[in-house]
Amino acid sequence: MRRWALLPLMLVAAPASAQTGQALGQTLAQRSPAKTYASICAYCHGHNVGPIILGRKLPVEYIQAMVRAGRNGMPAMRPTEISPAELDALATWISKAPKDIKEHGQ
Amino acid sequence: MSGPTIDRRGLLGAGVAAAAAVGIAGQAMGQGAVIAPGVSKADLAAALKAMRAVVGDAWVAGDAESLRPWSKSYTPDPTGRHAPVGAVAPENVEQVQAILKIANQYRQPVWPVSTGKNMGYGSTTTAAPGQIILDLKRMNRILSVDTELCTALVEPGVTYQQMRDYLDEHNIPLWIDVPTVGPIVGPVGNTLDRGVGYTPYGEHFMVQCGMEVVMANGDILKTGMGSTKNPSAWQAFKWGYGPYLDGIFTQSNFGVVTKMGLWLMPAPPVYKPLVVRHKKMEDVARISDAMRPLRIAGIVPNVVLMMGAAYQLAMFHRRGEVTTKAAQVSDEEIATFAAQHDLGMWNTYIALYGTPAQVAESERIIRGAFAAIDGDVMTQEQMKDNPWFHHHATLMRGGLSLEEVGLARWKGAGGGLAWFAPVAPAKGSETQGQIDLAKQILARHGFDYTAAFAVGMRELHHIIALLYDKSDPAEEKRADDCYRELVTGFGDRGWCSYRTGVHAMDLVAAQYGETNRAVNAAIKQALDPNHILAPGKSGIA
Repeated sequence: MRRWALLPLMLVAAPASAQTGQALGQTLAQRSPAKTYASICAYCHGHNVGPIILGRKLPVEYIQAMVRAGRNGMPAMRPTEISPAELDALATWISKAPKDIKEHGQ
Repeated sequence: MSGPTIDRRGLLGAGVAAAAAVGIAGQAMGQGAVIAPGVSKADLAAALKAMRAVVGDAWVAGDAESLRPWSKSYTPDPTGRHAPVGAVAPENVEQVQAILKIANQYRQPVWPVSTGKNMGYGSTTTAAPGQIILDLKRMNRILSVDTELCTALVEPGVTYQQMRDYLDEHNIPLWIDVPTVGPIVGPVGNTLDRGVGYTPYGEHFMVQCGMEVVMANGDILKTGMGSTKNPSAWQAFKWGYGPYLDGIFTQSNFGVVTKMGLWLMPAPPVYKPLVVRHKKMEDVARISDAMRPLRIAGIVPNVVLMMGAAYQLAMFHRRGEVTTKAAQVSDEEIATFAAQHDLGMWNTYIALYGTPAQVAESERIIRGAFAAIDGDVMTQEQMKDNPWFHHHATLMRGGLSLEEVGLARWKGAGGGLAWFAPVAPAKGSETQGQIDLAKQILARHGFDYTAAFAVGMRELHHIIALLYDKSDPAEEKRADDCYRELVTGFGDRGWCSYRTGVHAMDLVAAQYGETNRAVNAAIKQALDPNHILAPGKSGIA
C-alpha cells in the first residue's frame, strides 16, 4: 500500500531531480543525489553488473569509502567526478533510500 | 536482508573522502610511487605547493590516502611503476597555463587526463613513473551547440552523460556517439585516444573538428579555422590551412587539449538494430568478407562489432558458470553456454538509420548477403529482452551503458582488465591466424580468449579483453607477461595495436619502427624541451 501511495509523488519529483540544468558555458552545478545516482551508480548497481545497494541501509562512511577506493571491479570515483559535497549527499541518500523495485541483477 | 559485509581491504580507504576534501596531507608521495628521474623530493613538494596556490588546497592531492582514487587501475602493474605521485585539478585554461609553468620550473612531469576513465588502458595512472596527474575533469563546460550545423564545442571534463542531458533538457534532436562506457567518459578524452563508438559517427577522430591546445610553453594554439579573425567555421571545417595539426595531439604528449569541436548526428526518423548470428568460430572469415563491401559502400553505415560469444558471456556471467577448469575455457564449453542464452559463437551487430524506404532497401541487401553465408539475421522483435541485444541496440543509437564493466568480474573479484587491440585489413584471410595465435599465447599464461572484431571502413580491430584477477599478485604478473607476448607475437606478424595501456606503450611503439620513434622524438623535443608533458605516452619520452 505504502509503495503505491508514494508513486505519484515520485513521478512529480523525478523530472526536477533528474535534470542537471547545465547551461552553455557554465560548469556543471552540484547534482542532486538522485541525479548523481542515476548518472553514475545506477548504470551498474541494480543493472546486471554491480550489487543492489538501495534499501540495504549501508553505512554512510562505507559508501563514501567504496566510491573513492573502487573495490574490486568497481571504478574509483575522484573528487573531480563526484565532488565532496555531492558524495556526502549521495552517501546519505543511498543509505536511507528504499529498495527500488525496478532494479534487478546481481 | 542481512547487513552489509564489510571488507577490511576496502575500509583501508575509509578516510579517503575526508582526506580528498582537504587535499594534500603530511607526506608528499603516493603509496608505492616512485619519483621521476632528475626530480628531487624537495622539487616535487615545492611543485605541489605552488600548484596549491594556483587551484586551492582542495584540488591538489599528494599523499597515499587522497591519491587513492587516482591510483586505481585495471591494467597490470606488478612493480607499481605506474602510480602517480600527485594530482592537480584546474578549473580553467589560465590555471592549466600556470601549472605548466610550475612543471617547467621544477622539471616535474604532469600527465593530463580528461575524464580519466580509460578503463583497461590505465585510467589515471601513468606510463613513466613520478608524474602528477593533470586532472581536467573539473573543466566541464559545454561551450556551444550549433543546431543548424549539428556541431558542439566542449571542454575535456564533459562526459557523454552531460552531453545527452544537455541535448535532452533543451529538446535538441541530435544524437551522440559513445564508446562502451559512455556515462563516465567524454568526447575529448576518447577522441584523443582515437577511440570508437557504434553509430555512423563511430570513428571519433573523423568527426572531430577544431581544438584549443595549451602548449608546454603556455602558448595557446587553436587548430583549423580557430585562429582566424572570425572563427565561425572552427567547428565546420577540419583542415584550416597548411599542415594539419590536430592529429599530432592525439595519442601524444605534445600539448594539453582544453577545447575540442565535434560533429553530432541528427536523430534519424527510423532506427533499426539487427544481429547476425553464426554458429562456428571459423565463420569469422566469411563474416568479415561479407561485411567489407557493405561497409565500404555505406550500406552498413555504423561501426560494426562482431562479438565472440566468450566476450559476450563475460559481460553478464562469471567464469565459474561456464567451466570448472583452470585451463583456457574451450570453444565447446562456450558454444554450449552461448546456445542456452540465445547467442551465436559470433554475434555481429549492425544498425540501419534513415527513412522507412532507405532502411527497408538496406535491410533487403544485407539479408541477401548474410543468407548466402548461413547468417541468422535477427530483429529487436525476435530477440525480445535478450540482454546482449539490448546492450548493443543501446550502443548503436548512442545510448549510455556501463554494462561492459561486468567484464572485470569474469576471472574473480580482483577486477583486472587490459585491452589488446591489433589492427588488420578487413579481409577474412586475416582473421583465423590471429585467433589461433591469440589463443595459443593466452593459453600459455592461463587466460581465456574473450574477444571481438570491430569493423571500421576497411580495417578490422581485433579487440581482446585480457581478463585476470588483479587481487592475486602472481596472476597480475602473468597478465603482464602475457600482454607483452601478445604485443611482440602479433607484432612479428605485422599486426600492431591501434592503442594500448600505460603498461605497454613503449613496447607497442617499438613495433612501429625506429624512424617513427625518431620523428616523434624530434617533435617532442621541439615542442616540450623539458619533457614535462606525459613522458612515456605512446612511447614518446
